[in-house]
Amino acid sequence: MSAKPTVVVTGIGMVTSIGAGRHAFWNALLAGTCGFAPVKSFDTSAYSVHLGAEIQNFKAEDYVRTLDVNSIGRSSQLAIAAARLALADASLDLTEVDLEHAGVCGGTTSGEPQFIERFDDHYVHDELRKVGQEFITGYPCHVVPCHVAMELGFSGETMMIPTACAAGNYAIAHASDLLRAKKASVMLAGGADSFSRITYTGFARLGAIAPEVCQPFDRNRKGMVPGEGAAMLLLELKDHAIARGARIYCEVAGYGLSCDAHHMTAAHPQGEGAARAIRMALDQSGIAPEEVDYISAHGTGTPTNDRLETIAVKNTFKKQAYKIPISSIKSMLGHTMGAASAIEAAVCALAITEGHIPPTVNWKEQDPECDLDYVPNVARKHNVRIAMNNAYAFGGNNSSLIFRARAV
Amino acid sequence: MQKRVAITGMGVISSLGDSPATLHSSLCNGKTSIYQFDESHLNGSGGKGSGRIAAFRAESYLKGKNLRPLDRTGQLVVAGAGLALEDSGWTPEHLTEYPVGLVLGTMFGSLHTIAKFDRHALEQGPGCASPMDFANTVINAAAGQTAIWHNLRGINSTISSGSASGLAALGYATDLIRFAGQTAVLAGGADEFCFESFCGFEHAGMLHSSGSLELPVPFHASRTGFALGEAVGLLMLEEWETAMARGAHILAEIRGHGSAYDSSRQDRGMAVRSIVRAMADALDDAGMSPREVTCISASANGSIREDQDEAVAIQSLFNGSSQSIPITAIKSMIGETLGASGSLQAIDLVETMRSGLLPGIPGLGQKDPLLPELNFCCEQQEINQCHGLVNSIGLDGNVYSLVISRGPEKT
Amino acid sequence: MDVEAIRAKVKESIFKVTGIEAATISDSAVYVAELGLDSLSILEIAVSVEEQFKFHASDEELSAIRTVDDTVELVRRRICAAVA
Repeated sequence: MSAKPTVVVTGIGMVTSIGAGRHAFWNALLAGTCGFAPVKSFDTSAYSVHLGAEIQNFKAEDYVRTLDVNSIGRSSQLAIAAARLALADASLDLTEVDLEHAGVCGGTTSGEPQFIERFDDHYVHDELRKVGQEFITGYPCHVVPCHVAMELGFSGETMMIPTACAAGNYAIAHASDLLRAKKASVMLAGGADSFSRITYTGFARLGAIAPEVCQPFDRNRKGMVPGEGAAMLLLELKDHAIARGARIYCEVAGYGLSCDAHHMTAAHPQGEGAARAIRMALDQSGIAPEEVDYISAHGTGTPTNDRLETIAVKNTFKKQAYKIPISSIKSMLGHTMGAASAIEAAVCALAITEGHIPPTVNWKEQDPECDLDYVPNVARKHNVRIAMNNAYAFGGNNSSLIFRARAV
Repeated sequence: MQKRVAITGMGVISSLGDSPATLHSSLCNGKTSIYQFDESHLNGSGGKGSGRIAAFRAESYLKGKNLRPLDRTGQLVVAGAGLALEDSGWTPEHLTEYPVGLVLGTMFGSLHTIAKFDRHALEQGPGCASPMDFANTVINAAAGQTAIWHNLRGINSTISSGSASGLAALGYATDLIRFAGQTAVLAGGADEFCFESFCGFEHAGMLHSSGSLELPVPFHASRTGFALGEAVGLLMLEEWETAMARGAHILAEIRGHGSAYDSSRQDRGMAVRSIVRAMADALDDAGMSPREVTCISASANGSIREDQDEAVAIQSLFNGSSQSIPITAIKSMIGETLGASGSLQAIDLVETMRSGLLPGIPGLGQKDPLLPELNFCCEQQEINQCHGLVNSIGLDGNVYSLVISRGPEKT
Repeated sequence: MDVEAIRAKVKESIFKVTGIEAATISDSAVYVAELGLDSLSILEIAVSVEEQFKFHASDEELSAIRTVDDTVELVRRRICAAVA
């Protein structure tokens, strides 16, 4: 394998339904705190389900300083908050950053859905004249990373990769490639999604939302719980990080991406595409399957995903699959859509540095088809040198990201 | 040694034709597709020019399978991909053997489906929402549908950088080949025309309003805005050696790409500098100097500010040679096709290099006197093209540039 | 409404979603194995049937649908319940 420059994670920031910022979030996660509550942001009385994982009491003005907080949507606010938290965590002094080579790579499922929802509200009330210029300036999904860049003054490559529930992994993968190609000196990479009526309606229509609790891999699991959130990782080349005395969480060892080309909303029945993504990630990282110490699962809590994901992991790791702890933090955060794999990537970085892995909570009874070690209910101290982050999306987009403890 | 990226096939569906040759011929003849369309599409927004593909019939491209799961954006992309695959010689049998990737640039995805799904649920209740429509509300839906239809199992990604999405996708796919070991990736962009985006642009005051100019003319003194269009443009990108090994016809080569972001959004100087940087970085990436560029496909679409910024940036970077490099702007005829625009420009640049003819900018009799003296082509001209530069300047500060060189002579 | 009329309307929904002509669909056709439909298409057919007959099936009822007969039976049961 050729010696490629090493990309490292030097800062992480997140805003979630169980806490904002690395410390609050990590403590809540290890304690098994859940962010579920009846949906507040719109009326669910006509729905058969009512559970969501919304972020309560988010004060955007605590984080948005450059832009007018009222001129940007909630996803942009969450993304900016996560970015500011990541920069603070990384102790990155913006006055010392080459801003022309500082970029933002975001991921999302819906972008800024409230804008199209408002457009539709006007439409059904025959009030289209009330649609102002804010629809075009605020709605298209690429404005989310643009707003982060505007807030911070970053003027390198700024891009949105809206590959839905796998988007965070795609964003981190692309940002890593840009850094290795010396097209950027620092990159913020992650994902954001705000609570969406459209998303909730769709998943409810598919019968995919759990009525009471999200319990990934449990025999009696009934579905996922839509949520919202944002996470940003600060990435830079290792030499750059060392030169500025940065604390290094871990290395981005490699990634794998593939497409099922099978079904829009259900995974391949043998987990074939997911297995290919895992293998590509292992190959790119130069890592053998038995070296993986922890897997952050996609683990949405739907009967189908959890079963097929288990098949994919077994197909790739064979008997070794039974020795690798694999947990789903969606059991606590719900499904934060485009933010999910970014938050889960941050969890991998923390697992490596803290030697601690989060649990899959609400797990009560084993499903014979899901018989791996899902770290049920209680966080576990565990030496993690290699962590894998798997995420799968509508359209058959599969992704695997591998993080490695910093080589001494 | 960096891997080379070959263009081995192209597929396009646009309001000026559904083959690269037809599109190019229409552009060279100064044909415009921008027309007044009837108000039933506009919900009372008033008549403005648009480049909607009125005659698009998915059935004529996509045979033998149920089309219901595809919405308009999905139909355009699946059909466009089919044309590109055919043009590049990738058969269904080959696609079962090798996982070809797909990178699609789009600004809105299936905006009409997103809105329709939401409105139906609002009006009829959430229990009446359509599961099939929901599957198409994710912005990466068209890329997923296309992968299913054509069995594209490689890396599948969707890129949104506003109206620069298509060129961003081409740059992203180029890097997958150079750095991530991919050998065949279909890349480009698409956006549908729908009344939701039309209404949005109109209410933002960005669209051309006919006054002294009947149609939007980039760089014109009286320009007022752009005309909204729709299209899909996809290019098959392959690693050079593997393309040669399979006997592919190499049409052209992507030599380099660059991007920048104007984070100020207020400072015109910074806007110009970000365009200069993107072009300079693309040339640097290509290992070329500005002197070697023989034509420019401008992003200009009739927008007052962006057209001027691009012209100033071109003069700034190309300096002495800027007065001789011919510049075209195909959005003068095809309108602003958002996510598809950069890929359409790239496709037409390849055709320009093959045919030796560069399209002009119809109606550019009176260049804006505020613009620098550049060689804007008012009508088609013969040209001996080796290296072209394509620009995509987004409406929100994203800037991408791509350098394309003529392919080897076909033996 | 008699069973034949219900069946005809169910087949209308199948045609609308899949393009499969009603005349070619057997009364007992199995959606996945015989008509080659995926889960999304089956759900879409169910939603179309709900709209035609103006009722909402529960998630349990929807997940139990496997065949044309199942769909017809669901409608018949719901119409009788509405009338009773």
